Amino acid sequence: MALNERNAGNANGDAKRDARLDRLYRAAAREAPPAHLDAPILAAARREVGARPRSLTSTLRRWHVPVSIAAVVIVSVSLVILVSEEGGEQIVPAPVPAVAPPAGEAAAPATQPALVEAARETTQPQPAAPAPPRRGSRDDAEAPAVLGKLADSARSEPGPPAVSGTGAVATPESAAKPLPQPFRATPRVAEERAAPSPADAVTAGRMAGALSAPSEPPVARSSAEAPQAESTARAMQSKSTEQDRLPVWHGFEKEPPRKWLERIGELKRQGRAAEAEEMQSEFKRRFPEHPLPLDSK
Amino acid sequence: MLLYRDGDASAFDALYARHKGGLYRYLLRQCRDAAAAEELFQDVWMNLIRARAGYSVQAKFTTYLYRLAHNRWIDHYRKNSHVAMDSSAEDDCEAIAELPDERERPQDETLDAKRQAGRLMELIAGLPEAQRETFLLQQEGGMSVEEIAQATGVARETAKSRLRYAMVKLRQGMLGWR
Repeated sequence: MALNERNAGNANGDAKRDARLDRLYRAAAREAPPAHLDAPILAAARREVGARPRSLTSTLRRWHVPVSIAAVVIVSVSLVILVSEEGGEQIVPAPVPAVAPPAGEAAAPATQPALVEAARETTQPQPAAPAPPRRGSRDDAEAPAVLGKLADSARSEPGPPAVSGTGAVATPESAAKPLPQPFRATPRVAEERAAPSPADAVTAGRMAGALSAPSEPPVARSSAEAPQAESTARAMQSKSTEQDRLPVWHGFEKEPPRKWLERIGELKRQGRAAEAEEMQSEFKRRFPEHPLPLDSK
Repeated sequence: MLLYRDGDASAFDALYARHKGGLYRYLLRQCRDAAAAEELFQDVWMNLIRARAGYSVQAKFTTYLYRLAHNRWIDHYRKNSHVAMDSSAEDDCEAIAELPDERERPQDETLDAKRQAGRLMELIAGLPEAQRETFLLQQEGGMSVEEIAQATGVARETAKSRLRYAMVKLRQGMLGWR
């Protein structure tokens, strides 16, 4: 007992290193890890460095200009292709101002009343001019006919919303707008221009109605916008699904370990064991040096 | 470690070469099972590699490394043993009270260093886990009491107390082995 008391009394100095123990320990402890452990560890260390390059920002900076140029080129080419593929058909009404009306009308812009008038004229039981001077007949009937077709297609085709007023939304203003020159008509358009069919006349009549009824264009627009709204809704839905798939530890990336542990505890208390487990494993991965509380093990 | 964090793979080689022996022996003495020690050894280094990007200097690298090792060993210990770790101060005091009086110990003849070393290893193996760990951290990690406290997540006084008791036991155990 006396010895034990003495031991306790000397205890403060006992925490210091003991030269003899150190020497003996060094002589005894000579084990080394087996060589077969070295290779996988060193390989993993190299892989990790390789997978995440030294400086991500410097790498990004190096590729910044080429990637930007490539992106601009791709977007430009895509736009050109898109416009040339889809725009050609819808640009049809543009020739309206180009069609030279008879001398007196030539100077007047194709305003709404004029178009209505023209449409009315064509719906009159005009005997089909079988072989009139081609040029003249076309001049009279073509503009309203084509406009009628356009309005018709705008009402029936659920296409994308009008791109820069090319005619999907058939407002008189947009329809009457002159087309930037030069304009190359597609073969089909050329054909239509050459021989206006009787159906066009009927369509023109309908167009006249459409032009006189101010409520028509919004209807056409809403039908055209429907698919767009649908796709927007779909995109929102997929976005929310994506948010649902976020990891349970989302938002805790910058939080200190204490917050993580609190959240894990909270999840456990709520009976969300799987989420708690997921968060805990992420916690272990991020803070391997941080001990877990006893109840978390 | 900062060099390695910034992408210098050769810095890791140097770290590994410097610390692998001490870490392995620390785990080997704690587990007392070579296979388990190898597994933990590998895990600790892998954890270190994975935590590379988030590494920041908060303590000496040795402290950081042995803290990883300590945590990994605790996990292993809890998984493989349902007995609570023997680390309380009361246990330490009790253990010291049970030590035999050095005057009762027969004075053996001088033994060669090898046998003395063997004796020391036996004594180390017989220490309570927490005391053994403290002693090993001092020997293998070259750590001070403060660093040991950091690595094991205890107060400085606790670490100091454990180390003191470990040293007393080892010294007393070696008294007759000169």
